[in-house]
Amino acid sequence: MTCTKAETLDRASLEALQFFRLKETLERVYARVPFYKNAFDGAGVSPRDIIALCDLERLPFTKKQDLRDNYPFGLFAVPMEQIVRIHSSSGTTGKPTVVGYTEHDMDVWAEVVGRIFTMGGLTSCDILQNSTGYGLFTGGLGFHTAAERMKIAVVPSSTGFTSRQLLLLKDFGATAITGTPSFALHMAELAKAEGYDLHKDFRLKVGFFGAEPASRGLKEEIATTWGIDYHEVYGLSEIIGPGVAGSCKHSALLHINEDHFYPEIIDSLTCKPVPDGQRGELVITTLTKHGLPIIRYRTGDITSLTREPCACGRTLARIESIAGRSDDMLVINGVNVFPSQIEHVLSCVQGVTLNYQIIAKKKGHLDKLEVDVELDESLMRDDVAALERLKKECERSLLNHLYINVAIRLVAPKSIVRSEGKAVRVIDQRS
Amino acid sequence: MSYAIKQLSVFLENKPGELGFLTKTLSQGGVSIKSILLADSSDFGLARTLVDDPEKAKAVLENHGLSVRLTDVFGVRIDDVVGSFDRVVSLLSAKEINILYCYSFYESSSGIFIFSVPKEQFDEAVLALIAHGVEIIQAQHFYM
Repeated sequence: MTCTKAETLDRASLEALQFFRLKETLERVYARVPFYKNAFDGAGVSPRDIIALCDLERLPFTKKQDLRDNYPFGLFAVPMEQIVRIHSSSGTTGKPTVVGYTEHDMDVWAEVVGRIFTMGGLTSCDILQNSTGYGLFTGGLGFHTAAERMKIAVVPSSTGFTSRQLLLLKDFGATAITGTPSFALHMAELAKAEGYDLHKDFRLKVGFFGAEPASRGLKEEIATTWGIDYHEVYGLSEIIGPGVAGSCKHSALLHINEDHFYPEIIDSLTCKPVPDGQRGELVITTLTKHGLPIIRYRTGDITSLTREPCACGRTLARIESIAGRSDDMLVINGVNVFPSQIEHVLSCVQGVTLNYQIIAKKKGHLDKLEVDVELDESLMRDDVAALERLKKECERSLLNHLYINVAIRLVAPKSIVRSEGKAVRVIDQRS
Repeated sequence: MSYAIKQLSVFLENKPGELGFLTKTLSQGGVSIKSILLADSSDFGLARTLVDDPEKAKAVLENHGLSVRLTDVFGVRIDDVVGSFDRVVSLLSAKEINILYCYSFYESSSGIFIFSVPKEQFDEAVLALIAHGVEIIQAQHFYM
């Protein structure tokens, strides 16, 4: 199987398709989602006023906060009887962000992820070790569904348990793998330590990595160490999950599946579009989603876009690897975390104050998050065991609410340096 | 109660220099340390100290940004004879008194053992020991 027709349309035909789908989506959300009716009315624009793709600029943005404000299903555009899958990510004030898929959406999802698998040369003869987190997170199941539909044999190994993953990788002979780049390096390191020969003991030929930023050097290191082709996958649950964009064999840039997801790059501050090639915040409008269509979603991801044709023959625009964030979101081993989420969880624990400092580090190839928390002076006790319990409680609470392992360090009251003005809450020592 | 000795518990991070800061602050404040017990966990510790002037020590330490808790403990004089410590512990266990922690130091050929017990069992513990002729050190003994 090679690339689909939709991936090679000439620009005029692609834009005609995009416009047709955009109109349909706008009519649908205006009629079915009160949030969008209010937002469009508030902006004084009706779907009828959109007569060209560039008119999209006149519509208001959708932000992550809007999903939270409409928790859990307020932005869904279909009745629940049509929803077949619900995913969710952790929220900032205790409320998660919820996304829902119809059967049609599942088809779209499988198709867009499938395109990236095809870029990597996968066919039904392959075995895919899916070392991406399963569960509420969209990564694992997003890859899983697409691979299964392509009749690829999927090993749903999920993340962690590295020794066992290596054993399966060798014994089952997977030819492809998914995961975060840091997990791929971590696996390689452990494999060497356990005496595996990375080039002889495994049959891997290709890997699909994403969910966290990776430098060119890191990608090359993974490709060389494992002896595989490196394909990058970009996605976010609010849009669909993995599969929004992916890199082909010919360039490090990622083809964005623009027949399903309409991209804009804007200046985060002025909210005005920036020219191709210039960095800005990626904004996406879904063109074919039914369950949760989303208009002009502010991804927070900083990238640039090019419509230059690619040597692979695909005409789809390409984005560069995410260069950063327009907000303070941290990516910890592929899991997205906002400092405000950590603060909220800590605010629910008795005995610690909200004077804290988040330190992101590298431990080997994996990310490690440490949080220093000041003790509440009035609750300070002459009791080591009680303090140990308090530390455990903070850690357990963060794991339960944010799905991340955090090492809490209790520090003395008033010991975290107060800076003038805005507190320095996050110290990222990873780069 | 005059048997309640005010012990200072100071929260310290587990890193070089933390204890030094405590001791220097006390010494510069003219406070004398009578005994000290360091309890540690993986990344923090509690320094428990008996000093000659707990209120002054607390003020001095707090002025220097340390977080101090005063806890009531009692001291028992125990002769340097086999079985004498066991006897005290047995008296407490017979009353089902939970010893939270204990530390000791030597003073003119006998040992002084400092006991921490739950607040609500403090009086019961002291009275049980006195009833059996155990010498409890007056708090005043340390404050000079």
